[in-house]
Amino acid sequence: MAPKSCALCKKARAMLKRPKTGQQICRDCFFFVFETEVHNTITEAKLFSPGDRVAIGASGGKDSTVLAHVMKTLNERYNYRLELFLLSIDEGITGYRDDSLETVKRNQQQYDMPLKILSYDELYGWTMDAIVEQIGRKNNCTFCGVFRRQALDRGANMLGVDHIVTGHNADDIAETVLMNIMRGDIARLGRCTSIVTQGEDTIRRSKPFKYAYEKEIVMYAYFKKLDYFSTECIYSPDAYRGHARAFLKDLEAARPSAIIDIVHSGEAFEVREEVKATQKLQQTCQRCGYMSSNTLCKACTLLEGLERGMADAGITDRARKRLEAEGPAPENLRTIPFFRPTTTPGSAASTVEVAI
Amino acid sequence: MTCGNPNVDEQDALMPRRTIGKHANMCVKCKEPTGRVFIRHSVYCKDCFSIHVVQKCRRCLDPHINPTPSPSTSTSTNPKMKPTKTPKRTADLRASGNLVLGYSGGLGSAVLLEIIDKWYFKSISERDGGGDKGGKRHPRNLSKVWEKAYVCYVEMSGVDDTIRDTTEEIREAVSRYPMFEFVPLRLEDAFDPAWWARITGSATLPADLRIISPELDLSLPSSSSPSSSPTTNPLATLRTYLTSLPTTTALYTSLTHLTRLLLLHTARSLSASHLLLGTNLTGLSVNLIDGIAVGGGFVVREEAGEVWQPNADGKGQGRDGGEIRVVRPLRELGMKECAVWAWWEGVGVVGEESVPLKGASIGRLTKDFIIGLEKDYPSTVSAIARTCGKLAPKGSNGGKCVLCERPAQSGVQAWKDRISIREFDGIESVPHISTSTSASPLPTPSTPSPDSDPPLSLSPHLCYVCHTTLTSRSSRSTASSIAGGEGLVLPLWAREAMGRFVPAPLGDAGAAGGDETGAHRNGAGVNGDGAGVNGDGAGVNGDGAGVNGDGDEMKSHVNGDGEVLVRRKVGEDEMRERVGAFLL
Ligand SMILES: [Zn+2]
Ligand SMILES: [Zn+2]
Ligand SMILES: [Zn+2]
Ligand SMILES: [Zn+2]
Repeated sequence: MAPKSCALCKKARAMLKRPKTGQQICRDCFFFVFETEVHNTITEAKLFSPGDRVAIGASGGKDSTVLAHVMKTLNERYNYRLELFLLSIDEGITGYRDDSLETVKRNQQQYDMPLKILSYDELYGWTMDAIVEQIGRKNNCTFCGVFRRQALDRGANMLGVDHIVTGHNADDIAETVLMNIMRGDIARLGRCTSIVTQGEDTIRRSKPFKYAYEKEIVMYAYFKKLDYFSTECIYSPDAYRGHARAFLKDLEAARPSAIIDIVHSGEAFEVREEVKATQKLQQTCQRCGYMSSNTLCKACTLLEGLERGMADAGITDRARKRLEAEGPAPENLRTIPFFRPTTTPGSAASTVEVAI
Repeated sequence: MTCGNPNVDEQDALMPRRTIGKHANMCVKCKEPTGRVFIRHSVYCKDCFSIHVVQKCRRCLDPHINPTPSPSTSTSTNPKMKPTKTPKRTADLRASGNLVLGYSGGLGSAVLLEIIDKWYFKSISERDGGGDKGGKRHPRNLSKVWEKAYVCYVEMSGVDDTIRDTTEEIREAVSRYPMFEFVPLRLEDAFDPAWWARITGSATLPADLRIISPELDLSLPSSSSPSSSPTTNPLATLRTYLTSLPTTTALYTSLTHLTRLLLLHTARSLSASHLLLGTNLTGLSVNLIDGIAVGGGFVVREEAGEVWQPNADGKGQGRDGGEIRVVRPLRELGMKECAVWAWWEGVGVVGEESVPLKGASIGRLTKDFIIGLEKDYPSTVSAIARTCGKLAPKGSNGGKCVLCERPAQSGVQAWKDRISIREFDGIESVPHISTSTSASPLPTPSTPSPDSDPPLSLSPHLCYVCHTTLTSRSSRSTASSIAGGEGLVLPLWAREAMGRFVPAPLGDAGAAGGDETGAHRNGAGVNGDGAGVNGDGAGVNGDGAGVNGDGDEMKSHVNGDGEVLVRRKVGEDEMRERVGAFLL
């Protein structure tokens, strides 16, 4: 095939076919449209205000590595006047910590951003290695997910930031939309496509890559020569999610716009008002002060289960009731330090109960 | 419509072998030890099962039969067809118009026709007793729920020479139900001026509008030859239309929409108040996921039930402005329940001709996926239907899409432009392109030069799904364009709807500006339907096995003990491998 010229600038030679649109474009135009689409996402949703302190959830993986680069670029190009930080969570997994944190630390130097590393061990008294040793391989994703989410919020709180940005991309969101529909998880379905989420007392979280294709993130890293670490769960414990993921890949192969089309679908509906009214109200955890839909938050329940040798207490309702039937938690139980938000001045934090 | 689903599968599904097992065979209803079928944790005897199926069907249909007291409420606040107070007795049911049943020849529509006939028309007893099946005068319409009843069938053989024309077989099957008049349609009718004239009763043809550019600009009919009647060969026009679509997915979606609109417009011309479709629970779940995967989240609710209204100034309207309720009475019955019922009741299933589609389509992938998933996770299909039943459209309704006649969300084009940049027009500074040599010198699309009218574009009048159908490319195809040759002729309803945006030959060209999707004409929030087609959605059976392979493979090449996560450095080579297919 003869070299074609770029479909956008019409001048340079096309170097790639864009996974999202199928257009053949040059490298510079690819950088530009990729970044501009993220910029459009940010400005359309009015994510930031000048002077905001923003933490980038950095894992050393592709999404967050590229996100750090793009945030830095856009902040300078469009003069967002944001103070950017890197926030990394150390799950406590032998052998892998150094590798992944190496990328994050390099980003710290390259981009001249302050870095905060917060470990599960520090926060919960448990590393993932120790958790897996106790509970085996089943359900460890529940622990990891719940603990990471809370750890990010707490790390952000320590940094005194207003906002966390994470690297969730369009593929992740499309997959979650499908999953939540198939599993009937109506509460999550309502939340998963919103670009910003904010619970009671927590820092705003957003997903500037919500319209960015995973393939394009990899492509961006490739052309910008950003290296990263891939993080894969060994157990692939969620077979159901695996099916959804494989299905989405098939859809994308049939028609590349499928990913963005599903994200669009997810944005075009909402949970009916009558249904919303029946959902649980949000409250704060009695023990640690974090947002929760029960008196104890998920992390505290999981942790208490671990401490008392009933690890599945945070996983199923039945096991939780069994734990409660065993009586109150012992006095000397290790718990998560109480969460006191240091930021969000003048926010709506006075409302005690917020619907999910 | 079936896409590559051989009839053999239906035969297999009709065998309820596995259902009669070692379970205690006490019937859950009559408590007699005569249970013969095991459905979702319950054992039924033959009689009780038969009643159970009919009851479930009635539960989905009866609340929607009588007209709502105030017609306006049914369209605005809760577009999910507000059920009327359901009369307890069938004798109190009275529809405001006639009945049209969409018949595909598949299992679902065959079961539906049998139930509707048996329960609401009772002609079957006449048929069995009288013996004379040709005597259309004899059977009496006992219930009078609907004044007249029609079976509409859309023949798909126009798509492709390989598809057999089964109209006569369907006619034969339907002739067993003398209360129902058979109305055969052909897919190419959508482009046939004679059909349009017949159903609208109007002699004037809609303007000859064709898509002439990949941006969906339309040609304006030349004033010299007002009706050059290009569509004298509807079959050729249909084929050009279908083969010009950019993806197999688009073809699948378009077949669905064409079938649906043919049924609706025909139903309107037959003064129908109801269009019944044989979609079962499995098929509904497939349609829901398919709809979401092609971007139809805004109309997810219409998939299960809806009220369609013809364009307000449409000619030849039926009663009540021609409002038609589309109901899927089998939507709570699983594929297995339908198959067992059909088997026991001796319902003949003609079978649907499969439409061969080259390459993967989202519709077909979804069908395989859901049916495969249903085997391992039987509750999936009901979870999907239940979840989607809790959703409402978000954002403002920009009117009705001219192509699929469903509600279109406003602001879709702007959303697309923001999220996927396809041109630099309107973007102020492109860093690596110096302004002096910029390829797009200060384009201002909003203010066209006074001496040339802006082209009439179809895009602002389309919903997200239809715009995507016409414009979204596959990663392989490079040249495929819907704007080749003499342009793409639109289906007649779309030509009619777009006709009002065609500027008059002289003067008042301002009308062509194309504001929101025809919001003036019909602000009604409820119309349109999804991928339902007149069939049963997800045929019967079909193997979803191929779909699930990938996940397992991904798992197997990562191993290790004790650790939860595997982290490894991803070098340039691996990145290149992942994006290699996209590098030129
Ligand atoms: Zn270029
Ligand atoms: Zn807590
Ligand atoms: Zn019984
Ligand atoms: Zn449409």
